[in-house]
Amino acid sequence: MQEKTHYPTKNGTRALEVIREITFSTDPADFYYMDVNVPCQGACPAYTNIPAYIRCLFEERYSRSYELNRIANVLPGVLGRICSRPCEAKCRHGEPELGQPVNICHIKRAASDFKEAGHIYMEQLFAPLGKKVAIIGSGPAGLAAAHDLSTIGVSVTLFEAFEEPGGMLRYGIPEFRLPRDILKAEIDSILRLGVTLKTGVRVGQDLAMEDILADYDAALLAAGCYKPLKLEIPGEELPGVYTGLDFMIQVTSGRPPHVDKRVLVIGAGFTVFDCARSALRLGAEDVSICLRRTEEDLTVTEDEVFDTKREGVKIKSLMLSRRIIGNGQVEGVEFVRTRPGEIMPNGKRSITPIGGSEFILPADMVIVATGQRPEPLDFPGERDKDGVLVAEKETFRTSEPNLYVTGDYLTGPSTVIEAIARGRAAAEKIAEELTGQKFREKAVRLEETKITDRLRSWDFIPRQEMPFISPIEKRFSTPNTEVEIGYSHEQAKEECKRCYLCYLHYEIDMSRCIYCRYCIDVAPRDCIKMVRAVETNEMGAITGFVETQQWRNVNAIMIDNTRCIRCGECVRVCPVDCISVTRVELVERMLPREKAS
Amino acid sequence: MTEEHFVIIGNGPAGNQAAVTLREKVPEARVTMIDKESTGCYKPNLLPEYVVGKVSEDKLYISPLDFYKAKGIKLRLGQKVIDVNFKGKEITLDHKEVIRFSGLILALGGRPRIPEPLHPFEDLMFTLKTIADARRWIQELGKVESVLIIGGDLTSFAVAKALLHLGKKVSFILDEDAFWPVRYNKEIYEQAAHQLTQKGVKVLACRKLKGVLRRSEHSLQVQVDDRKIEVGMVGAFFGLVPDVKFLTRSGLQIERGVLVDEYLNTGFEGVYAAGDCAEIYHPEIRDYWVSIGYDNAVNLGRIAALNMAGGKVQADVEPESIFFVKDIRANISWWMEF
Repeated sequence: MQEKTHYPTKNGTRALEVIREITFSTDPADFYYMDVNVPCQGACPAYTNIPAYIRCLFEERYSRSYELNRIANVLPGVLGRICSRPCEAKCRHGEPELGQPVNICHIKRAASDFKEAGHIYMEQLFAPLGKKVAIIGSGPAGLAAAHDLSTIGVSVTLFEAFEEPGGMLRYGIPEFRLPRDILKAEIDSILRLGVTLKTGVRVGQDLAMEDILADYDAALLAAGCYKPLKLEIPGEELPGVYTGLDFMIQVTSGRPPHVDKRVLVIGAGFTVFDCARSALRLGAEDVSICLRRTEEDLTVTEDEVFDTKREGVKIKSLMLSRRIIGNGQVEGVEFVRTRPGEIMPNGKRSITPIGGSEFILPADMVIVATGQRPEPLDFPGERDKDGVLVAEKETFRTSEPNLYVTGDYLTGPSTVIEAIARGRAAAEKIAEELTGQKFREKAVRLEETKITDRLRSWDFIPRQEMPFISPIEKRFSTPNTEVEIGYSHEQAKEECKRCYLCYLHYEIDMSRCIYCRYCIDVAPRDCIKMVRAVETNEMGAITGFVETQQWRNVNAIMIDNTRCIRCGECVRVCPVDCISVTRVELVERMLPREKAS
Repeated sequence: MTEEHFVIIGNGPAGNQAAVTLREKVPEARVTMIDKESTGCYKPNLLPEYVVGKVSEDKLYISPLDFYKAKGIKLRLGQKVIDVNFKGKEITLDHKEVIRFSGLILALGGRPRIPEPLHPFEDLMFTLKTIADARRWIQELGKVESVLIIGGDLTSFAVAKALLHLGKKVSFILDEDAFWPVRYNKEIYEQAAHQLTQKGVKVLACRKLKGVLRRSEHSLQVQVDDRKIEVGMVGAFFGLVPDVKFLTRSGLQIERGVLVDEYLNTGFEGVYAAGDCAEIYHPEIRDYWVSIGYDNAVNLGRIAALNMAGGKVQADVEPESIFFVKDIRANISWWMEF
């Protein structure tokens, strides 16, 4: 297709018309290419167009940078603070000889911080459909589903059991990590689409699901995981023993429990770190996180671990709780040492308790934060042995007509970005089933472009660290103040420079290549290869190269985009200008109604 | 048949001993020792005495460079390993060279540990692990009269002793975190404080060290609880952390050291760890343990090499000498020495 940009003159006549050739592809091979070659976007459950928003921020188009996030993940200001950052683990800049990954999450926050105060975000809206959907739970999955269904033209009512919307974002994450005004602003920007919010309503108790199903065309359960897992060891019922979830809900509701001097927090997820840091702010003097495995096996971000330690929390590894000790009040925990073993199919490392290595750590409070699961609900439809409503993971359908399930209630505890992605997918599926139409589709957008203005020296810019409140004591005197201050404009720009912009695809036109090998000589990595053959998969996508050093066997000189760091040197030296650059982006397209299948 | 190539990462006492042992046991194999530092192998335990002039620099070194040439041990100094593929048996160096190995001993040693709450003041604290560190101490000691030592690790006591010899005013804050791998308790604290006080060191009580500020070119202000202490310089001695950051994605099991079994094997075939970086479960103290100190490092380097060469030698995790008397089961021999 052709995209036209008109530049009108003062009197309104057309002075200039720029025509760009843009192709949209839904070929599986192109989706495969995106997954492999733009690893950050492929790793994001919501497929956020990361290189594009980083480039926009670099160009000081802050509002557009925010919008590019908002299109995919609906809560950029929130995620810019608390995302689990699967993208950074895949960032090409973090490959062994290339340094450290780009601080993608901090740049996301910068987009949120720097966008214009009066920024107008234009939602792409379909006409009303005359359908009503009830969503139970206003956490990230419920909010994302409410947003997408509203834009499709569905009338949405959001039921929330707590007094305020946000779910775990509001009640599970402390304010010093996620300021409430940021959360509220982004929730409001979803509600303004016409979503009716009903708080303090516990569906199943205050309102029967059968009544909802009678009043609405469909219902989506996005109630999260609010049943804490227990250690199932003696002493767990002693006063002074809390679950991580109960502790955090009390803290974030403004009714924190009394915290004594010594606190042990058992578990390994983000909640553990939130509990430990909150306990310090509530006056604890000696707080330790007790891990069954090691720090290396933690899934929380490295920054979070470091910041927690910086506040004075100790992290103790290779210990498994055996019993909680106390006489009318918790006094300590008996642990046994563990030996780490192989990585199991679920990605976690196996551990074996070491007999005879028992030891006791004294404690005045024990917080057990080993996870949550969905609550059993008295809803129609098939339920598992624990009373949890069962649904299909792909279609979100339950056995009850028009009743769907998504988010953590469907999958078990996950991350905020995963919950958002599932909420959006469920919304699409419900809309499709209610109308028989598809409203959006993913496509790969290809547009020829020029090499970037990136300099090779930018590859050596050190990772810009997030500034935080200093001195540390200030964190405890004003316990709700956000610890991370946010990048300055200069820092954000420096960090943006570090991104290789992997959405640029470099390709040699073999019909024009003269095999001079200049490109190979200037390549900073082994990214340009003399190739005898290419390997492809069943989709027709290139998966590898059969290299050769013998000229008589060379059939092509090819750029391996999985190794390319998009420095552009090859383009600069090519004497016959046979290397093209294409910007390839995984985008979401609104499907016109008349063409909807 | 492919020639065996044993690689040792780390040119400290453990690595050095491992190389020598391998050369003796497997004369036909290639032995390569890689270290990011450019200096030859030295005895870190002599650094405090070097700082105060009791030992000359040439006495620090274990063997002259010619020794390695004569033994057929290839030394690659000043070269930094940035990645290890344990399954593929490949090492990647900073300059992108890839080295294949048939056996590998990690003798990475450690770098001085600064607890995270003190990181903002890191630049104002002196550590003592390398000869370069020692030179900085020598330079600074010429300008100041008083030194505050924070910590309590092996080196800290030797430094305090050396500074007294130099006539400096020495004060000491004993920090429980510094005693790792020893399990800290009141008895250990009192023992250590008693030994220090007897020698003329002022032991300061401290619940929380809040910060260090530079007051002038030769004066620092240390905020301890609600007090402010003026000193010439501050030494930080919180033990070592293994230098294994570059291995975190490699699949190696790492806690505070590289976790190994009683034969010092890391879990990967033909890959061992020795010295300060090897962490082993110690059945006697029923806990994980890192054997610190020069003699232990040499011993572990030897054992790792023997096992690499086909032996089945168990690491002697509890030599009598490292344990204190009576019922305190911990490595506190350096206090006795002090």
